[in-house]
Amino acid sequence: MSSRAASTPVNMLLSVLVTCVASASALAFTYGATYERILAQEKAAEERALLAALPGASSFEALEEDLVERADAAAGDTPVSGVWVASTESGEIGWTIRCGPRGYGGPIQLVVGLDRNGKVTGVSIVTHSETPGLGSSVLEDAEFMDQFDEWDGADIDRSAKAFDAISGATKSSVGVRAGVLAAGYVYRDVLSEQNGGGERE
Amino acid sequence: MSEWLSTFRRGLSVDNPLTVLMIGLCATLAVSTKFEGAFFMGAAVVFVITSSTALISAIRSLVPQQVRIPIFIVVIASFVTVVDLGLHAFFPAVYTFLGVWIPLIVVNCAILGRAEAFAYNNPVRLAIADGLGMGFGFGGVIILLAAIREFVGTGRLEFMGQMLVALPSWYRGPGIVLLFPGAFIIFGFMVAGAGVINRRIHGRVVETSLHCTIEEGGRK
Repeated sequence: MSSRAASTPVNMLLSVLVTCVASASALAFTYGATYERILAQEKAAEERALLAALPGASSFEALEEDLVERADAAAGDTPVSGVWVASTESGEIGWTIRCGPRGYGGPIQLVVGLDRNGKVTGVSIVTHSETPGLGSSVLEDAEFMDQFDEWDGADIDRSAKAFDAISGATKSSVGVRAGVLAAGYVYRDVLSEQNGGGERE
Repeated sequence: MSEWLSTFRRGLSVDNPLTVLMIGLCATLAVSTKFEGAFFMGAAVVFVITSSTALISAIRSLVPQQVRIPIFIVVIASFVTVVDLGLHAFFPAVYTFLGVWIPLIVVNCAILGRAEAFAYNNPVRLAIADGLGMGFGFGGVIILLAAIREFVGTGRLEFMGQMLVALPSWYRGPGIVLLFPGAFIIFGFMVAGAGVINRRIHGRVVETSLHCTIEEGGRK
């Protein structure tokens, strides 16, 4: 067996220092090599979710920071992290709202699409940490996810009364509902007034 | 070479990190709800444990006794971060599923445990055998556990979007299998099963795991 470096202060300091520097440079290299791919992956995932929530739109433009902040305030407990204006060549067709209501295993990041009258066009899931096979099957259940279509953002509380949760996954179900409710509040309190002016670029 | 093979085999059988040593259980119970996720978790652990034990064994004569743990942790954490970034860039679906469990491979005690108990005291050649054996032992058990849980709990078995087995849609699996209590119950049966097999084949269950091969001050 080879002899071991003695635990003198200099040896200890030096060995830890060298290990940390070597590890830091290896990580910097890996980070640099993967950074752009990771960014592209995240952007693609978000675009897919936006498009799934509001099919037919050709472009999405993020709303200004202060409007998103107002939207977040309007949504109450549910954090809203982004609002996009969706348009086709012929003009604006609605909004997509990204929020993170609480599910069973943590926030369910989802995107709710609304048309210009505040009717829900679709709900799509970006990320979640629900129990696979139980909560997660709720999010893959087309019948469950489609029930939100046509909910009225202007009077979301009344629409929400017709809600059907899935037994065995109540918290996941209610989490998705909270997200749609939040989007409704955002429409009622913030977006509906954007409708009249129409002078935004 | 036979020493290499026997070291490798010990990780799979009589020193299996999960069913015999019972280290690294928290990640195992949490991630084993989906076959696909468990597969990549197992692969990530094989990579991390083999590369860290190899590197730690290679630099072991330069590592002073009193600061060995911080150095092990830095080495392990670096490999885990490489896996984390790699999965995020190339397998976003897997990355989303494993989530917080990838960074938590750092604190998977199976890895630090092997670095401390084996790699720090043995040549690189054997450290690699031990890392591979332990990694595959860990991966095999977690994959089997996940396959049982996914199949019994949902009636289906999927891998990379491919349906491997599917029961008819009237099948409603017991939800408890997918939650933590179910993991404990099934894992308990697996430990019992591994005990029976080890006793049959090797005539012992835990003897070797109770004394680690520690060599002090260069004495064998």
